[in-house]
Amino acid sequence: MANIQGAGTQQHTYDAIVIGSGISGGWAAKELTEKGLKTLVLERGRDVKHGDYPTAMTESWEFEGRTKLLPAELAKQEKQNRTGYTTHPASAHWFVNDLENPYSEEQRFDWMRGYHVGGRSLLWGRQSYRLSDLDFEANAKEAIAVDWPIRYADIAPWYDYAEKFAGISGSLEGLPHLPDGEFLPPMEMNCLEKDVKRRVASAFGGRPIIIGRVANLTQPHNGRATCQYRNRCIRGCPYGAYFSSNAATLPAAYATGNLTLRPFSIVSEIIYDKNRSRATGVRIIDTQTNEVIEFFAKIIFSCASAVASTSILLQSTSERFPHGLGNDSGELGHNLMDHHFKVGAAGVSDDFKDSYFRGQRANGIYIPRFRNLNKETARKDYLRGFGYQGSASRTDWARGIKELNMFGSKFKADMIAPGPWRFGIGAWGECLPYHANRLTLNSKLRDKWGQPTVTFDCGWKENEYAMRKDMKASAVEMLEAAGLKDVTPYDDVVNSAPGNCIHEMGTARMGRDPKTSVLNKWNQVHTVPNVFVTDGACMTSGACVNPSLTYMALTARACDHAVKELKQHNL
Amino acid sequence: MSQPTLSSAPVQPHLADTMTRRAALKRAALFLGVALTPSLIANVLQAAAVPGAKALFLSSAQLDLVTAIAERILPRTDTPGASDVGVPAFVDLMLGKYSTESERQVFTAGLDEVNAASLAAHAQSFVKVSAEQQDAILMRIAVASQKKDKTFFHQIKELTVVGYFTSEIVGRTVLHYDPVPGRFQGCVPISEVGNVLWTK
Repeated sequence: MANIQGAGTQQHTYDAIVIGSGISGGWAAKELTEKGLKTLVLERGRDVKHGDYPTAMTESWEFEGRTKLLPAELAKQEKQNRTGYTTHPASAHWFVNDLENPYSEEQRFDWMRGYHVGGRSLLWGRQSYRLSDLDFEANAKEAIAVDWPIRYADIAPWYDYAEKFAGISGSLEGLPHLPDGEFLPPMEMNCLEKDVKRRVASAFGGRPIIIGRVANLTQPHNGRATCQYRNRCIRGCPYGAYFSSNAATLPAAYATGNLTLRPFSIVSEIIYDKNRSRATGVRIIDTQTNEVIEFFAKIIFSCASAVASTSILLQSTSERFPHGLGNDSGELGHNLMDHHFKVGAAGVSDDFKDSYFRGQRANGIYIPRFRNLNKETARKDYLRGFGYQGSASRTDWARGIKELNMFGSKFKADMIAPGPWRFGIGAWGECLPYHANRLTLNSKLRDKWGQPTVTFDCGWKENEYAMRKDMKASAVEMLEAAGLKDVTPYDDVVNSAPGNCIHEMGTARMGRDPKTSVLNKWNQVHTVPNVFVTDGACMTSGACVNPSLTYMALTARACDHAVKELKQHNL
Repeated sequence: MSQPTLSSAPVQPHLADTMTRRAALKRAALFLGVALTPSLIANVLQAAAVPGAKALFLSSAQLDLVTAIAERILPRTDTPGASDVGVPAFVDLMLGKYSTESERQVFTAGLDEVNAASLAAHAQSFVKVSAEQQDAILMRIAVASQKKDKTFFHQIKELTVVGYFTSEIVGRTVLHYDPVPGRFQGCVPISEVGNVLWTK
């Protein structure tokens, strides 16, 4: 990085600035650069070039502690460890040091972060589903929070657009509440999954079980290779076989010649010019030199993730916006959502003993929402709904750990062979947008760069708890109807704390009215129209599906609008 | 896959020098019909580190005891046993570098109990009694531990099983090693892929 301290304003001026390089930031970079804008992408963490994935080809025996981190290393990631999988030695380097990046909790909130180029696009679960009008209309119909300012028809072409580039494999099902998309060929179900699918459809009036719609390629796509079925995605994929900023959007942005990517750059605030009623740029801290530097642009896309984007807006105070940029409504920081999960059931099967699968499929099955779709499926005990993710597999040697009285030569032979087939599902449920669920800035606890930190005050409420009962009961009901044995429910509500699902949404919601929302239907800050927020912060409600595909579509749509508005000199 | 011919012969706990390890490894390879590459040998010998001087945490006597217990949990049969793939050294490593002080205390107290049970029943230390006697002692401890949490037997069982199944020799030669499958097939006859788990 050249020393740019002392360089002139002109040298610090771009057409567009994008804050963050994760799923949303990568898309903004691609779209804006492809439309000819000189674009500066600011990333607070280190650079990661595609392929720079140190554990991608590491075998279990090459990790000294096999599945464990050294205690001194784990002590730096106590909060990141709350998911139970993030701090495995294969992936711990993608998650932040909690000691250097503290936050506070009025109620437990599990904030999982990856501070590096690509952000959590390297780490995501890759499940990719469209919202539908069931979701976009729900708030209005139920008088919850505020109405979404868009409907499915507004975003549908942008889902098409995002899917075509990203590469989503899946099956066409014709479900109105889980719209089909531009899919690559679906992955295959295994023997038991096909059997359970057939039995559940038969027992529950055609209730579908479908293969997961996943951002893993089932054929070569846009210069990226097909999935190798290693199921080691979280380490980074050297084949580029799943969608990430590093493998897909950032290379496309670089190819235009219009991208400048600046790692080690924490945006501390967006600079506002009250005379023009526009943002003029951003102020950053270079984390390597501690220099404070300003960059300027005609438009700013905040894609730093829900919590970080809202924090930046809250920090961007001025005479005009004493409570944070664009926060006339007072809603900035409120209506924080995640999905609640870790509830479901599992059972075993005595069938298919002579069958196995080949390859490690980086995907599971999906049971689309079947509650509160219409009058016939309406529930009295809760609003909205949930979908299930799951899979069948043959159990492995890990089942032998807990059975203490099993050991010896027969035990060893049993553990070497594939164990009984097991089918498990877990529900992902919608959380309503509650004004009381919020984040605030904490100026008393500052990070190592002197920046205020975040305090979370967010919890599930009656609707989520009532839904969880059905999430568990319906799982048991289906698995028993499917003929599985030893069907065992689970509900780990403690470890389904908000944040744990890593789907933070809301806090700068879209809406029709500047008095009750932060962003308009184009993801523009109502009162500062050259600032766009297109990450999870914008969500007006959470739906029950994984949200990243929606961020891709909304980002591409907002970029298109921004460039049109720029050309018409409206920004 | 049917002749557990060596299962009743307790592994001599003083398999201490590299030459003996190398011989054990060659025997294991013979059972498996696999070729041992120099790097594989080096890795396994390193994993099965010489007890005593190189042990991080366990004393030589404790390491001998761990070796004997681990070998009863996963004995050498037509496939390698726990000690053939370096489980004792792995247990020592995990205790020495990856455990808390209280976990270490539980573990060493548990080792003492194993020996005490053997001395009480047979007037000999655990490593000296027959495999059948060892199994009986371990079974009593296992049954007594099953309804408790985080006991010594939970520790030794987990460390042995994890150490064994995540080891290189098991990953490459006992389980089905296919690090880049390149395709997924949902239902294949198990005879096509061998009646063993995929290495993960």
